[in-house]
Amino acid sequence: MANFTTDGKLCIEREIEINTPDKQFDDLLTRFDISETCQWITDNNFQKVCLQFPDELLGVSAKIYQEIKKKVEVDLYILGDTSYASCCVDSVAAMHVQGNAVVHYGHSCFTKTNIPVFTVLPKDHLDVDTTMKVLHDNFNSDDNVKMCLFYDAGFEHCKDKISERWFQYYPQSYISFVQIEEHPHRFLGRVIRNKGGEEFPVEVLKDCICIHVGSRGQTVFNYTISIAASEWYVLDPNTSKVEHLQETMWFRRRRFLVEKCKDANVVGLLICKLAGDQTKDIISRMKELCKVNGKKSYIVSVGKPNVPKLANFPEIDIYVMIACPENDLYSARDFYKPIVYPYELEVALNSKRDPYFSTHITDYDQLLPGRPHHCDIDHVKEATDVSLITGKIRETKVDTNQGSSTDLAEKQNWALESIGQNLQDRSWKGLEQKLGETEVKKAEVGRMGIPLQYSNEPE
Amino acid sequence: MMDKKRNIRNMSVIAHVDHGKSTLTDSLVSKAGIIAGARAGETRFTDTRKDEQDRCITIKSTAISMFFELEEKDMVFITNADQREKGEKGFLINLIDSPGHVDFSSEVTAALRVTDGALVVVDCVSGVCVQTETVLRQAIAERIKPILFMNKMDRALLELQLEAEELYQTFQRIVENVNVIIATYNDDGGPMGEVRVDPSKGSVGFGSGLHGWAFTLKQFAEMYADKFKIDLVKLMNRLWGENFFNAKTKKWAKQKDNDNKRSFCMYVLDPIYKVFDAIMNFKKEEIDGLLTKIGVTIKHEDADKDGKALLKVVMRSWLPAGEALLQMIAIHLPSPVVAQKYRMEMLYEGPHDDEAALGIKSCDPEAPLMMYVSKMVPTSDKGRFYAFGRVFSGKVVTGQKARIMGPNFQPGKKEDLYEKTIQRTILMMGRYVEAIEDVPCGNICGLVGVDQFLVKTGTITTFKNAHNMKVMKFSVSPVVRVAVEPKNPADLPKLVEGLKRLAKSDPMVQCINEESGEHIVAGAGELHLEICLKDLEEDHACIPIKKSDPVVSYRETVSEESDQMCLSKSPNKHNRLFMKAQPMPEGLPEDIDDGKVNPRDDFKTRARYLTDKYEYDVTEARKIWCFGPEGTGPNIMVDCSKGVQYLNEIKDSVVAGFQWAAKEGVMAEENLRGVRFNIYDVTLHTDAIHRGGGQIIPTTRRCLYACLLTAQPRLMEPVYLCEIQCPEVAVGGIYGVLNRRRGHVFEESQVAGTPMFVVKAYLPVNESFGFTADLRSNTGGQAFPQCVFDHWQILPGDPCEPGSKPYVVVQETRKRKGLKEGLPDLSQYLDKL
Repeated sequence: MANFTTDGKLCIEREIEINTPDKQFDDLLTRFDISETCQWITDNNFQKVCLQFPDELLGVSAKIYQEIKKKVEVDLYILGDTSYASCCVDSVAAMHVQGNAVVHYGHSCFTKTNIPVFTVLPKDHLDVDTTMKVLHDNFNSDDNVKMCLFYDAGFEHCKDKISERWFQYYPQSYISFVQIEEHPHRFLGRVIRNKGGEEFPVEVLKDCICIHVGSRGQTVFNYTISIAASEWYVLDPNTSKVEHLQETMWFRRRRFLVEKCKDANVVGLLICKLAGDQTKDIISRMKELCKVNGKKSYIVSVGKPNVPKLANFPEIDIYVMIACPENDLYSARDFYKPIVYPYELEVALNSKRDPYFSTHITDYDQLLPGRPHHCDIDHVKEATDVSLITGKIRETKVDTNQGSSTDLAEKQNWALESIGQNLQDRSWKGLEQKLGETEVKKAEVGRMGIPLQYSNEPE
Repeated sequence: MMDKKRNIRNMSVIAHVDHGKSTLTDSLVSKAGIIAGARAGETRFTDTRKDEQDRCITIKSTAISMFFELEEKDMVFITNADQREKGEKGFLINLIDSPGHVDFSSEVTAALRVTDGALVVVDCVSGVCVQTETVLRQAIAERIKPILFMNKMDRALLELQLEAEELYQTFQRIVENVNVIIATYNDDGGPMGEVRVDPSKGSVGFGSGLHGWAFTLKQFAEMYADKFKIDLVKLMNRLWGENFFNAKTKKWAKQKDNDNKRSFCMYVLDPIYKVFDAIMNFKKEEIDGLLTKIGVTIKHEDADKDGKALLKVVMRSWLPAGEALLQMIAIHLPSPVVAQKYRMEMLYEGPHDDEAALGIKSCDPEAPLMMYVSKMVPTSDKGRFYAFGRVFSGKVVTGQKARIMGPNFQPGKKEDLYEKTIQRTILMMGRYVEAIEDVPCGNICGLVGVDQFLVKTGTITTFKNAHNMKVMKFSVSPVVRVAVEPKNPADLPKLVEGLKRLAKSDPMVQCINEESGEHIVAGAGELHLEICLKDLEEDHACIPIKKSDPVVSYRETVSEESDQMCLSKSPNKHNRLFMKAQPMPEGLPEDIDDGKVNPRDDFKTRARYLTDKYEYDVTEARKIWCFGPEGTGPNIMVDCSKGVQYLNEIKDSVVAGFQWAAKEGVMAEENLRGVRFNIYDVTLHTDAIHRGGGQIIPTTRRCLYACLLTAQPRLMEPVYLCEIQCPEVAVGGIYGVLNRRRGHVFEESQVAGTPMFVVKAYLPVNESFGFTADLRSNTGGQAFPQCVFDHWQILPGDPCEPGSKPYVVVQETRKRKGLKEGLPDLSQYLDKL
């Protein structure tokens, strides 16, 4: 999975497997939907098309390029080394070449973009019969308990066979199909249908047992935390093992972080995603939330975040990461200051939201106006409260004055003062001249060599 | 009345559990006319909560303000001009009844802070007990003047049937014991002067709270003074100690011989014995004669009573407890004017000559307001509290705008400071409150409208440059913890709200939301926690709650110096830190806890102290960069490097990394304790941008973790000091129980003059759950333990060795916190050049 890496070293030293394309060459056309891609390009009459590959598919990129070029008269560009995560469409990179459209290969997180995208899903091998048998052995069909099947996007190519078998065993149940295009009941790139093809909203799963066929990873994790279901299981088709998923510990930790948000005075909005207008919307919404609650917010954009980068801002109390939900940094514990989801800041600072949550909203798109989980920002009153984390009083200071002429001066004063306070707490404030305090000395020979091993250091 | 500051007495009633504080307090309350005299001793007026009444144990301290008039003849005993207003006979007594059980000692601490005098109650049958000593010690430390009351004389007479001389010896011993404790902790030449109690001066009372009678030698001296034609004061001296009177020769003697009798026995105890004897043995004819002698007439409605009931009535009318207590209080306890003079320097953190300090010192109602809020008292309005405290200077007025400063306030900064209006000022009257316009200094009162700005305690002032009043030091620590969660998960917000209220309502309890998201309630002991959780469930959160078994928190430490120089490189490989960890010498972590060594000290003085006491190198001791966690904890970071360029620039980053590592240790993310880290060398990149916080903070943490792992890491557990009182036969049983629980006895002694033994032992808190019950069942209910947190002790065994006890603890903790199980890997933290 194409996650952000926290360690720079890993990034540099990561070895990418180069699959020799020979073997795959035979089925390249079908495997990467070449003809469908060409069809799509000609239908929409795109002039410049970018092919976005994740690292592991870079090896076949040239072949695919050639194949498409053979069939369609179009400017093609290959995009590799995406800025944030390869599951998201890198529309900014596409814009650099003024591309009209992107063909996305590999694992996808199905988030909305502002550029036409053709998604080519990976095609993984699945032994449908065996898998279904394992399922049937583990889960008795019971009319009282409904079930819903999820499958890895890589198994999309055998969805017909899957659904046939599944509904054979469990005629009353649902399947959550991959849905690439925008759709009224689409949730996390999925739509739930029953045997008759009828569609249902995600709420229908509340009393269902959900089973995911595929490997355990961030995608499944996101399903389990954001879809309310009575139980979650994952079935790994390679090992035929069924695992029960439960994330109560994780939720507990998240609720703690919500409290941390309330404690924070300075919030860092960590931007790790570029595609889409909704990114801008969520940034301004987060800023607004901080503002009405009297918290200062700063936008931090440092490329792929890692521990040292974020520790450069010790004054920031908590980071809200605006990024594709399919990354595992949210749960990382190595950071100097914790990282939360936009939804968690919402829960903490928007009093109109229910303070208790048992399902999470990982996709911040859902929080925006017009989306199902949108919630107006309430007017905040000045209040004090005890923080159970620090055991101190925490105060919500509201900036009530808005924009009369004297305010500016006052605000500037306040800003200076608060900067001064941060600086006051530091022992080194930088660029102190210390005139007359430093002893006069003769120049000495200093250190020599390169940082890896200075000459004065022992071997 | 509140303006007459010289006629105010602020006092607390303190004692060992079950020595009869609340019962005795009733006598005074009834004298003030608040409850009926006949019900005094049974009402326990100051036990306002239902569970207090049910269990017959005080849980919360309760304040009550009372007004009395002293008779003219008694006024002459008040010699100090600052102890009485001219021509005023009325006295305002603000009394705080405090709990005796050791688990609630924090309530006692809070009560002592706002009072100037303490009535120490001792059960004359069981004598001076553990908690008596503890609270007395606290009182002296706070410069609170004690007076002594020997309670439960009725038991001594009726149950134990002690002879007069025996009883005198008992009293004498108690007085001596109390004075020994006082002498240990107080310096007679100190600012409080002589504080020892002395029956012949009238600062020791005798009696029975339950029956409502009491006396001091003054009462008896008054009875005899006319008859003997001796001066009252002289007579009082004669009535105590080695003074014997020969009835035949009418001569006083200093020694006992065959014919004479101890004056105390003869003149004080004899009449009481006679009354007891006559009434309890139904000697009808004698009773009437005696009654006339002692000048008691029995009211009509009491005429047909006999036995104990009659005894009560007679004793109560003869020697009314309220009267005796009142005199003791008015005459011997200091007024605020007197007390604040010597208490100011103990109370105020700021310079001793600023306006606030002078206002406190002179108890000046015209000076700026200085008030200390010592605790929060729940109101009938759920979630709101009265801020209860003492006005030390100036006047607190309804509607006044004041500065509310929490314990983290620092002069000149804005943290923990609020300027708000005081909505109302009120007087606390046990279970009732009374609104009042303003309260001048020297009084105890409650405030409405400041509770939201304070967690537990704070200072309220009108003086802009005021510093905080000193925060209280508790004698107990919240070392026992339980995790709580709502039975219905969706009730969590209510639980959180309830925990916040609980945190306010108790001076000691800690409600913590841990990194893992668990909600922890930490208290001093099992009983304390039980009460807190009950309050939480019934009053604060009002939802059903699931609670875990009690656990203790651990600390991480090291037992040796790091076996190698630990090097960690920054992520960009351009900066290198070389450090080592080593254990602190014994006693230093405690010194830091107690504030004897603290980050605010002048670094030279601190270095001198560390050098003298712990043999630290002076130059190193001067370069202590910081304490941690939270900037004050018992771990230090010392700069032992020489001539490192740019070192001052990265200090903040190193300190931040140290605070991080000290809060979350490497083994189980528990706090560190007693670890000294030394920085030996640092290599830094020449460009500032490459040695910023981002490079240094995480690297410092890694390096410190490597230091810990190479220095034989250990776990520490909290240990109770456990004092058990029991008869000799039960001692064997105690040893058995203690051995099973890893406890060890370090002292065993007989209480002088009694068949009781006191066994002192150290008992790991973790092994103490259910200890009381276990002990009782093994000693036939004869042994009563009192457990107070005493120190941290290394849990034997290597936490890195699978199968050892610390290993199990580490793994359990990691699991609970949602951390990766297994052991931390040194290679993750240690780099090679």
